[in-house]
Formats: sequence, C-alpha cells, structure tokens
Amino acid sequence: MLEIKNLHASVEGEDIEILKGVNLKVNAGEIHAIMGPNGSGKSTLAKVVSGHPEYEVTEGEILFNGEGITELDADERAHMGLFLAFQYPVEVPGITNKTLLREAYNTIARANDREELDPLEFEDYITEKLDVIEMKDQFLSRSINTGFSGGEKKKNEIFQMAVLNPVLSFLDETDSGLDIDALKVVSEGVNKIANDKNAIVMITHYQRLLNYIKPDHVHVMMGGKLIKSGGFELAEELEANGYDALEKELVLNGEAQ
Amino acid sequence: MSEVIQRDTMLSYITGSVESSAESVAIRAINERGREDLEKTPFPTRKDEDWRFVDLKSITKSQFCKLEEANAAAVGDISEHYLPEAMNCRLVFVNGVYNEELSSVEDLPNNVIVGNLAANADNNSVKEHLGTITNYDDDVFAPFNDAAFTDGAFIYVPEETVVRTPIHILNVFTDAEKAFYATPRLLYVGEMFSKSTIIEEHIGLADNQYLNVPVTEFKMFTGSNVHHARIQRDSKKASHVSRPIAILDKNAEYHSYTICLGAKLFRNDPRVIQNAEEVNFTVDGLVLIDGDQIADTHSIMDHRFAHAGSHQLHKVVVNDSAHSVFNGKIFVAKDAQKIDSFQENRNLLLSENGKVNTKPQLEIFADDVLCSHGATIGQLQDEEVFYLQSRGLTEQKSRELLVYAFALESVESMEVESVEKLLLNEVIEYTNRDEK
Ligand SMILES: Nc1ncnc2c1ncn2[C@@H]1O[C@H](COP(=O)(O)OP(=O)(O)OP(=O)(O)O)[C@@H](O)[C@H]1O
Ligand SMILES: [Mg+2]
Repeated sequence: MLEIKNLHASVEGEDIEILKGVNLKVNAGEIHAIMGPNGSGKSTLAKVVSGHPEYEVTEGEILFNGEGITELDADERAHMGLFLAFQYPVEVPGITNKTLLREAYNTIARANDREELDPLEFEDYITEKLDVIEMKDQFLSRSINTGFSGGEKKKNEIFQMAVLNPVLSFLDETDSGLDIDALKVVSEGVNKIANDKNAIVMITHYQRLLNYIKPDHVHVMMGGKLIKSGGFELAEELEANGYDALEKELVLNGEAQ
Repeated sequence: MSEVIQRDTMLSYITGSVESSAESVAIRAINERGREDLEKTPFPTRKDEDWRFVDLKSITKSQFCKLEEANAAAVGDISEHYLPEAMNCRLVFVNGVYNEELSSVEDLPNNVIVGNLAANADNNSVKEHLGTITNYDDDVFAPFNDAAFTDGAFIYVPEETVVRTPIHILNVFTDAEKAFYATPRLLYVGEMFSKSTIIEEHIGLADNQYLNVPVTEFKMFTGSNVHHARIQRDSKKASHVSRPIAILDKNAEYHSYTICLGAKLFRNDPRVIQNAEEVNFTVDGLVLIDGDQIADTHSIMDHRFAHAGSHQLHKVVVNDSAHSVFNGKIFVAKDAQKIDSFQENRNLLLSENGKVNTKPQLEIFADDVLCSHGATIGQLQDEEVFYLQSRGLTEQKSRELLVYAFALESVESMEVESVEKLLLNEVIEYTNRDEK
C-alpha cells in the first residue's frame, strides 16, 4: 500500500535536511508503530507523506498503491485516502467541525466518484460516528479545536478519521495528552476503524498505547532514519533500556552510520 | 511677483457652482451655510494629519458635475436589490434623487414617518434637527453635502413605538456619460423608547465614476434604540466619503455596522456622541477590498458623560494592492467616569502588496474607566490552510473558508436574514476573486 524508498527531505528553501534516507513498507491490514527520541524526524515523516508544503523531497520516493505521490498536493493525497492525525491539531476559529467534515467528506467522495451526502444524510452519518469514540455532539457545532482541551483535540482527530474513513492513517502522538480513560476509548475507536483493507502508522513515545492497539511492526527513528525495525518486543526493549542503549548496541554491531 | 497661494477647495473639483434648488426654506438655509463653509475650507492634503495615509487622487484628478449635466442612464429593474423583509418599507434614491415609484412604504405603525425630506420639510422634527447634528470641524465633505442636498430620507419613530420591519434606504447609482456627484442625506429621529432597524445601502449599478457624499444624522432620544447597517457596494470607480453621526440621550442605544465592499476610494468618519449618561453604542466595520481600492475609517467614540458602554470591532481583509486605513479615536471627557469602551481592529492581509495602516487613539481624561484597544495584522496561517487541505479541501476552498470565518462574526451582526445571506455571498465572491 505505502512504500517509502530512501526518502530525503529538507525544509523548503533551506539547507536543513531532516529526513535522511527513510525506508518503510506498509501493507493493507497492518498496524505500524514508529518510536524515537524528540527531534528525530517522526512528525516530519508524517507531514512529508501527507504533502506539507513546508518540506521538500530531495531524494527517494513515496509510492501509494504503486503511484508516486511526492508531486501531489495535500488535498489530492487526502482524496486517495491518506490521513494525518496531527501531533498539534490546529485551531481554526469560525469554522465548525461539522462544516469542515461535510466539505471534506463530500470533496473526497466527489474525487472518487462516490455519492455525496446532503446535509440531512450527513447529519445521520456523523452522529453514528460520534459513538465510535464517545464524543458529545456539541463538538460538531464548535469551531475546529478552538478552546478544546489537549485531550479533546486528540479525540477530535480520531473522530475526523472515523468520518473520513481513510485508507492509510498516520497518528502522530495521538496518545499524549489523553488520560487513561480517554486513551482506552480512543484506542477502542481506532481498533474499530482498523480492518484488513486499511493501515495505520502510529507515532508514539510510550508503550502504553501499544498495549491497547497492538502493532504488527515497530520501528525506531533516530537522526532522520528508521534505524531498527522489529515486533512488539522492540517497544518493550526500548521502554526498558531507552534509546541510548539501542544506539550503543547498533554502533557495536557496526549498523549505525 | 508674489501672489497669495490659495489652497484648493472642494469646489475646485466640481464643475460649475453648487446652487440649491431646494424649495424648503430650512433646507436652503443649510445649503447657504454649507456654501460658506465650503468656500473657506481648504481641500485636505496629505499634510493634514487626518488624511496622511490616503491618496485622494480619485477625487482631485477629476471634475464632478451636477447630475443634470451627466446624462445619466435611467434606472432599470432593480428589484433584485429589494430586501424581502422590507418589501413595504423601502425608500429608493437614484443617483441621490428620491424615486417615489420604486419606493414602497405601507403598513407602518401609527405616526411613524418613512419618507423623503422635501415632502416633510415642514415637519417639526425636520425643522428642529436637520443639519444640527453633523459636527465635523475643518471638513469639506459634510459642508459639500450641506451645500448641495435638496432632498433625502427622513425617518421618524414616535415615542414607545417599535418598527419591526427593517427600514431599507436604497441608494442606487446608474451609468452616466460624465462623472457626477450625489449628496444623499438621511435624518433619523427616534423619540423616547422607540426602536427600529435601518439598512442603508449604496449600490453602483454600473462601472462608472461618481462621487457619493452621504450625510446621515441620528437623533436618539431617551431610551431609543437603533440598529443601523450600512452596506457600501458602490462602483469600483466611485469615490464615497461618508459622514454618519449619532447623538445619544440617556439610555439610548445606537449600534452601527458598516460593510465596505465597493468604491475605489472609501472614506468613512462615523461619530457617536454621548449627550447624557448611560448609553450604549457600537461602531463596527467590515472591509473587504482588493485591486487598488482604498478604504479609510476615521471614527470617533465621544464619551462625554458617565456610564457608557461602547464597542468597536473593525475587521479588514486586504488583497492585491488595496490599502486600508483605520484611525479609531476614543474620547473620554473629564467627568465621564465608569466608561467601558472596547476597540479592536483586526486585519487580514492576503497579498504582499496590500497595505494596512492602523492607529488607535485614546484621549482619556477621566480616571475610573475601562478602555481596551488592540490591533492585529496577520496573514492566513499556513498551518491552518494545510490542516484543512490535509482533510481533502482544495487550497482555494481552504483559503475561502478561512476568510469567510474571519468575516463571519461581522456579518452575523446584521440581524436581517436576507442581508446576512447577501453579505455571505459577497464574501464568497470576494474570496473567489482571489483565485489566480
Ligand atoms: N520547518 C522547520 N524548520 C526548521 N527545522 C525544522 C522544521 N521542521 C522540523 N524541523 C526540525 O527537524 C527535526 C525533526 O522534527 P520533528 O518534528 O519531525 O521531530 P519529532 O521526531 O516529531 O519530535 P517529537 O518527538 O518531539 O515530536 C527537529 O530538529 C526540528 O526542529
Ligand atoms: Mg513529533
């Protein structure tokens, strides 16, 4: 589904390389986790895949269902089924959640020759989706993320994911800011959305999320690269020993640069 | 050879003389006063503090004639501009001239007057208040209107009377062979505890050059209440210089909302003057300009007595090489304690060549007052655009929604549904023009 090959990316117009050769393959039905220290490039990877104009791909490629997407705008990628749950969801005063989601849902539907929903049909449709993560309907008529608590913002991202029903989702630190109850609810929601036709890449610092959403693959990102991949046990190892131990081990084995 | 250098007056840009043909003695007296003021007041230049940022070329590079000499087109069907809520409460002025045929005033509460000034020149309220409220020192535009007007709109709401239908004052301007001037006039007298909603519109039906210099006077008696929306959609070649002023007695409320969409040059000097204790007023504005439009608001909120609540939210969107100027004066006199005044000017710059000058000006001589003011100039946030785009919205749609959201608050104050709809469409049209 997604294939990232030797991806290098810099800040647009500047000589700051952040991604330095990322390789990643995600198949339908899989759940991946990316862990790594602050500033290692996790969010940048997610943003570059979603088409953030702040970054420029200088080398390598991103294939989505076999098609190169690095030249596409963010909305075109969203139409193909890409979704990013932001680490820092943006507040947009004056535009309600519902307005955004209806516009987004119908734009994506149009792009894929699917039927659009009229306001009444859409009302029914999102009301149903509110249940996925136990969100109160008052959030629909509030301005996007404006005045939301940290946890509410994260929940809202997953709600949007439920409504837009993407093929491939990057969840960037969706767990941070959620208390334990909210984490359970959100995780259950994500598990309900996950199926054998879509895929999820979670970015997190904590194993606790992975206890609720079991990843098939865990990757460690350091210095703009995925330096190690493995199964769930890799997350446990990181939780127990930290990144420094991993880095030393890699150096000893001559695997680091 | 030394000659006294004489500065130009307003009359330098007018062909022929400004002579009154008004029948009413009262109006002619005001005309006379206006002419005297005009002759002795120099036309402003950039050296005048209040005109520092404005390019007045679109007036000074032209000559404006009387309507009669302009060979103006007859008005066609303008029913698309009628407000459904005000079908029977509408005064129409074509190029500044009252048009009885297109106007429609029916079923108003007893003794309410919605009519033209000339026909009501003998009314006591007209005699008493017309021309007495305007108060602009060293000004050439209010005197120009004073000198040239022969008619206008007159609204009178008697004591304890509520007019539930919005009152629509529709000024339309037709195409013409020559650039002409128009001097629309509006006198509003609200007796004690009266209430009404006024929608004052200026619409350029064609793309011609004209000079629109309206004066509106609001006399608000004790406990009276007015919601005054002003929508300026003049031709993109027109110059519009407005002098709207309101004077408030005890417990009066005057809420004004000025929407600027049209005109090449728009200069608006709203003034609200407190005439007794305990009043409430609003001087909001929404400006959406692009191309080479100039919109300049110089407002005064004049607190002269204790206990006033006043509010000013001035929102501006600038595109292309348009230029917005805002100077919001808040005066609080020495004994005017317990004033709660709020002013905010928010500017959204959509282009690199757009220009914004903003200057709050507080002159406060009382000590127990709460006055806050702020001004921001920002661009559309890239993060906001990306956020919406990442959800599937096109970049154009994302920008459109963000501008829409910015303007929405001001539009929602209109209180008349069809006007809100009309303005929302204008906002959408404005953001679509952004498409390059
Ligand atoms: N627009 C930018 N301009 C300059 N530097 C940037 C820009 N965007 C990201 N960076 C830098 O790139 C590096 C990677 O940032 P990124 O946000 O991807 O890290 P992260 O792995 O998500 O970290 P965290 O765990 O703290 O979220 C950081 O050093 C960051 O400061
Ligand atoms: Mg991050």
